[in-house]
Amino acid sequence: MLNIMMITLKGIFRDRVFQGIMVLTVLFLFIPSAASLSMRQVPELSITLSLSLISFILLLLSVFLGATSLWKDMERRYTFSVLSLPISRSSYLLGRFFGLALFLVLTAAFLGTAACLVIKVTSGIYPPDRPVVWSWLVLAIVFATLKYILLVGVALLLSTVSTSFFLPIFGTICAFLASGITQQVYEYVNSPAAAEAVPPLLKPIVALLYYLLPNLSGFDLKVNAIYSMAPNLVGLGITAGYFVAYTSILLGAAALLFNRREMK
Amino acid sequence: MKRIPAPAILLVSGLLAYCLLISPFVQYMRNKPIEEKLGFVPSVKLIKPFSADQKELVGVSLVMKVLMYYGGVIDRVTSSPELAEQADLQGMSRLLHGAVQLDPYNMDAYYFAQGFLTWDARQFKVANDLLEYGMKYRKWDWYLPFFSGFNHAYFLKDYAKAAELYKRAGDLSGVNLYKSLAGRYMQESGQTELAIVYLTAMDKNEKNPAMKKSYQTRLKAFREVRRIEVARDLFSQKHRALPASVDQLVKTGLLRPVPVDPYGGRFYLEEDGKVKSTSKFAFPVTKGETSNAGH
Repeated sequence: MLNIMMITLKGIFRDRVFQGIMVLTVLFLFIPSAASLSMRQVPELSITLSLSLISFILLLLSVFLGATSLWKDMERRYTFSVLSLPISRSSYLLGRFFGLALFLVLTAAFLGTAACLVIKVTSGIYPPDRPVVWSWLVLAIVFATLKYILLVGVALLLSTVSTSFFLPIFGTICAFLASGITQQVYEYVNSPAAAEAVPPLLKPIVALLYYLLPNLSGFDLKVNAIYSMAPNLVGLGITAGYFVAYTSILLGAAALLFNRREMK
Repeated sequence: MKRIPAPAILLVSGLLAYCLLISPFVQYMRNKPIEEKLGFVPSVKLIKPFSADQKELVGVSLVMKVLMYYGGVIDRVTSSPELAEQADLQGMSRLLHGAVQLDPYNMDAYYFAQGFLTWDARQFKVANDLLEYGMKYRKWDWYLPFFSGFNHAYFLKDYAKAAELYKRAGDLSGVNLYKSLAGRYMQESGQTELAIVYLTAMDKNEKNPAMKKSYQTRLKAFREVRRIEVARDLFSQKHRALPASVDQLVKTGLLRPVPVDPYGGRFYLEEDGKVKSTSKFAFPVTKGETSNAGH
């Protein structure tokens, strides 16, 4: 499994998709001048732009690399040669997942360092009203990384049942969009205001989707990092636990499905 | 003769057409009516789910859109007042309200809304409601109660509420001036000074050129008004009667140099001695009556 993990990592660094997406890091250079357009919150804007850029790059990487990783192997018939070795399908799949996860961690560390430099420069030129709390900034990047690792899990699960890359890519994007609003929809449907407006049948459907789809809004700590507001540490602990539990379910299901999959 | 390949013909004709069209196209885009530039932005209810985890960024982009647009309007107004178009204040307000729904902590949105909703749009309640909404989130920020306190005192003459808000601003900022503002300048006679203190605070940290220009012009106008008021008070102390006109103050030597209204108007005294200007402290506009920021 460790070998598969390292091979995955090496493969990604050679991948054109990765190199293309990483060109976006050039945008970090423009953040200080873009942030200076703000009237009253230049350092806050530089944090917003840095975190948004990190989030966007990680999203692209997790969707395009996570969703195409298995598909590419099968398309190139690489899976056959690997699986003929004394290695189980599960360890192959888990190796791929942990390789991708490690890659996201490394990328986030690199992007996070770039972001810290950019924010240090802007907050040096325009001192913020509320000092930047670096530990919360790091925490926001860590939780963003966890979010996209979980998304890679979704992409891999969809890859195990799909024969093309359409379902994994578009399915992951849809899951990502839905995961940001499930909380809102769930709360609305269960609010007294919606009691009359929402048909009773919709309630259990919404509840089912709410528990079934990943809830990624809890991983978003941008506001805490941008405006230096203390996050709820107990809540973060629960969120980290949620990440472990949900990812285990995804990987378990993916491994089961992959084991039963017919390879032609 | 060798035939020129079709793709080459296509490329060359495309390039030629581009060169011919690019200049009029740029001209057309530059001169587009301002209303069209602010453009249509879908409802926040729709933007929210689609902005996924980038709500703060989308909020910022809405504020920037309004800011760029306003910068364009101010530039046109100051360079050629007679051709100036009226700013779409309602559209600006709608976008800023959208921005704070996406990111209720975005200070630029509150600050900018306060700037034009009060002096220009005269929508004091809308401005105060927005500031009230912001205070629920930015609990540490003294600017919001400071803005709201000013609106209550200066525009709405609700001195009790203003005193309460100024006290809150004073507690948060640790600056006693804001606490004393409530008591000191709440009478009609202190209104000009109140406006000068407010505008100075606004101008102090302003970096945006359009906003800075707008504040400095207004500040200049209020400082001139204050000079006239001081001269008027001296005159009435001396002669036990109000002066008949601003000219009389100049002629008696109490007002030197002659006051100039940066908005291009002429100062005059009302019957009760109040200082006014024919410009109503706003640049002329061609249609409607946006800015009649009274004094």
